Amino acid sequence: MDTIEVSNLNRQFLFRQSHVGQSKAKVARDAVLRFRPHISITPYHANVKDSNFNVDFFKQFNVILNGLDNLDARRHVNRLCLAAEVPLVESGTTGFLGQVTVHVKGKTECYECQPKPAPKTYPVCTITSTPSKFVHCVVWAKDLLFAKLFGDKNQDNDLNVRSNDAARSSKNADDVFEWGENEDIEQYGRRIYDHVFGYNIEQALSNEETWKNRNKPRPIYCRDVLPDIMTQRNGNNVDKTDDLSSASAMASLGLKNPQDIWCLMENTKVFIEALKLFFTNRRKEIGNLSFDKDDLLAVEFVTAAANIRAASFNIPLQSLFEAKGIAGNIVHAVATTNAIVAGLIVIEAIKVLKKDTESYRMTYCLEHPSKKMLLMPVEPFEPNKSCCVCSETPLSLEINTHRSKLWDFVEKIVKAKLGMNSPLIMHATALLYEVGDDLEEDEIANYNANLEKVLSELPSPVTGGTMLTVEDLQQEFTCNIHIKHREEFDEEKEPDGMVLSGWTQALPEKKDAKTSNGNGASTSKSLPTKPGNTEIDTEVKEISDGTVSPGTKRKLSEFSDGSPVDHSSDVDETRNNKKIQKHDDEDELVMLDHWDSDMSKKQRLP
Amino acid sequence: MAEPKTKYDRQLRIWGEQGQTALEKASICLLNCGPTGSETLKNLVLGGVGSITVIDGSKVELGDLGNNFMVDESCVGQSKAKCVCTFLQELNDAVKAKFIEEYPEALVDSNPSFFSQFTLVVATQLAEDSMMKLDKICREANVLLIFARSYGLTGFVRNSVKEHAVIESKPDHFLDDLRLNNPWSELKRFAESIDLKVPDPVAHKHTPYVVILVKMAEEWAKAHGGALPSTRDEKKEFKELLKAGMVAMDEDNYKEAIEASFKVFAPRGISSDLQQIIHDSCSEVDSNSSDFWVMVAALKEFIVNEGGGEAPLEGFNTRYDIFN
Repeated sequence: MDTIEVSNLNRQFLFRQSHVGQSKAKVARDAVLRFRPHISITPYHANVKDSNFNVDFFKQFNVILNGLDNLDARRHVNRLCLAAEVPLVESGTTGFLGQVTVHVKGKTECYECQPKPAPKTYPVCTITSTPSKFVHCVVWAKDLLFAKLFGDKNQDNDLNVRSNDAARSSKNADDVFEWGENEDIEQYGRRIYDHVFGYNIEQALSNEETWKNRNKPRPIYCRDVLPDIMTQRNGNNVDKTDDLSSASAMASLGLKNPQDIWCLMENTKVFIEALKLFFTNRRKEIGNLSFDKDDLLAVEFVTAAANIRAASFNIPLQSLFEAKGIAGNIVHAVATTNAIVAGLIVIEAIKVLKKDTESYRMTYCLEHPSKKMLLMPVEPFEPNKSCCVCSETPLSLEINTHRSKLWDFVEKIVKAKLGMNSPLIMHATALLYEVGDDLEEDEIANYNANLEKVLSELPSPVTGGTMLTVEDLQQEFTCNIHIKHREEFDEEKEPDGMVLSGWTQALPEKKDAKTSNGNGASTSKSLPTKPGNTEIDTEVKEISDGTVSPGTKRKLSEFSDGSPVDHSSDVDETRNNKKIQKHDDEDELVMLDHWDSDMSKKQRLP
Repeated sequence: MAEPKTKYDRQLRIWGEQGQTALEKASICLLNCGPTGSETLKNLVLGGVGSITVIDGSKVELGDLGNNFMVDESCVGQSKAKCVCTFLQELNDAVKAKFIEEYPEALVDSNPSFFSQFTLVVATQLAEDSMMKLDKICREANVLLIFARSYGLTGFVRNSVKEHAVIESKPDHFLDDLRLNNPWSELKRFAESIDLKVPDPVAHKHTPYVVILVKMAEEWAKAHGGALPSTRDEKKEFKELLKAGMVAMDEDNYKEAIEASFKVFAPRGISSDLQQIIHDSCSEVDSNSSDFWVMVAALKEFIVNEGGGEAPLEGFNTRYDIFN
């Protein structure tokens, strides 16, 4: 369902400048027919998770070749291939790294037999109160501030909106982010600035405990950085006949190079100017905007806001180029790696078509030779007996059945962890929840009511010792989950209040190497001679926005710490579980599995 | 602004402006534009290489249609160099593309000086004697040369480069030793101004670990004839000394000092690799010298004079001047 973007053109050679905006599937088909006419190519400009791409659809093929860019879609296709019993050739690239793997039901591991690192997330408090890295500031700027100012007003937001203690206690406390009817935009901007970078920081400082072992942030007020009101620049937002959608704060301010690191004053100017431009030229969009990395003004705003916050917390500032990479989860990509991996995909595909089982290989494309090899072929392993996808192993879930609701279970476990798209949840013979197009209104109402109930109070009470069966009919994936009641969960380590086990969980990423440039996936560049720690979890680059219906739970994005700028990061396992939103316009990402995981324990194919 | 470079955004995140500029300045000569050569150029052209010149004397045949993206049916019978060039040009109109319909072997024999204009020559599917001749020509002209051949599922790529100089090497591990094993004068003076055994416990636990290390290292050196801990036992002993300096269990600065103690174990002076470079004859620079050697000459002067035998300290590359 992707369309062609300019940034694709450095490597996706079937596309030209003139194709920007068109469907990739359709243009690719036309391009291929030019050099290989008379073959049958059917393009579908659609999401691979659509219900029409069901098991019967997949059964038509001798082999499936994946060029997907997110974990969710890959898991989905994996399950369909298992159900249809069609071999799957998986692949991905990021920068100079890449891999190709072959998955044949019954013969090799399925794609999910080895756990894939989940997207990196940060605890809410790190984002809202104690950032220590630039990425934390970006998440704050994008998912909190930008969302609050320009996104859906009904969505809950962790940003502190109250302006003083008295207001907090009153029922009709004003939301300081509300723009006054005839308020001067620059005044508004300065007001917001002072609130989030000044007042909120003062508030945070008042809690001594937080700062006992941490460096204290300093409050920053607009008047101290930018005492003079910014005058109108020539020919920018005054003339409405201009192309409003391409308004840019950088352009107005004469900041030409996106790779420059702006000082605090410049960031402040960009902050105010960007805000002005949104309100003057794009007022209609306000309230509906979500961050888009290709929206220059949004990127400018987020960069400026993140930098000012970073300045406050004594974190080094970054350029727009860097900030954009982090905020947009941009994966670095180049023509050559993709050419290599494409060649490997074809080689494996030919083996599959010839049913040359003994020759199937998982091939890893490295950046630096390991034992003099740049391409490492490995024989596939047998299926993992405790894989809940292809071996139907039951799982266990520890949860507080009196406190957690069905909704929590569905969102955090069934959708996020198990990757089900359209789940069905049964407790013995009782159908607790399902998703479908053909449901009756009363059925839907019943399910919605169930979602709001705690587990032990469901029509068919779910308590410790019982078992839930969750299914996704389209994926033909069934999972049995034994429920264990547990009273307490650690807020920091188990923020979801539930622990799923039985399926080898994703291991934390080990970031032990620094890269110096660009926004790459967190790669461990030192390669193991014995399988060690090659984890390219470009999935880490996935961003998930909390696109939840208004009025329901608030979410903080799962975020990716993609930037090598942040390579000193500690592994952070706590998660705020969010729905994963696919950014399918991203380039192919790579899942380099753990090289080491149980290699010695597993059986290779004979 | 950002717009002209948006096309290259994803690769800029790998090799930065510097890499991109180098690519855009380069002129490539391709010998033989069969599948190997065409594929090579395709990737360079997509990346924005400065210019390409395709040398191939053959005509497009039916068999070529099955293995080369850069030719199609309408090209059969025409010059392969011309067709490949046309296709490549489509991929990126910022690249200057030229072709010469001539057999590379003949060009190598008849016009060796032709190759001096290029940054890099990519020679594909050449027989050995031509490779040898070309190698000599390129070495003399100081032109980079890459040979490539492919046969079915095997092949080789071979570089022939006289000298490759890298200034910004972007190491995987940034050596962050602050050169504590031989502190510069300002740091020394700063350390001297601090008393490790300060009685106030709060001040004691806020003494920067760098100062702790510098002072303890100096004490050690005094007691060991000017040498720093070098054997395993000595290093262990040094760490014990640091531990002994703690007055409370929660002194993070001492813990940091112990963890960072390796920074004072490094031998003083410059490495033998660096010695070799600064003593290379090329470091006697003149107006023809490359930037790399001029920088080496400057580095050499520093080491001998201000550095007192040490290289300049590795600097930070992030900005902290946020108060502008």
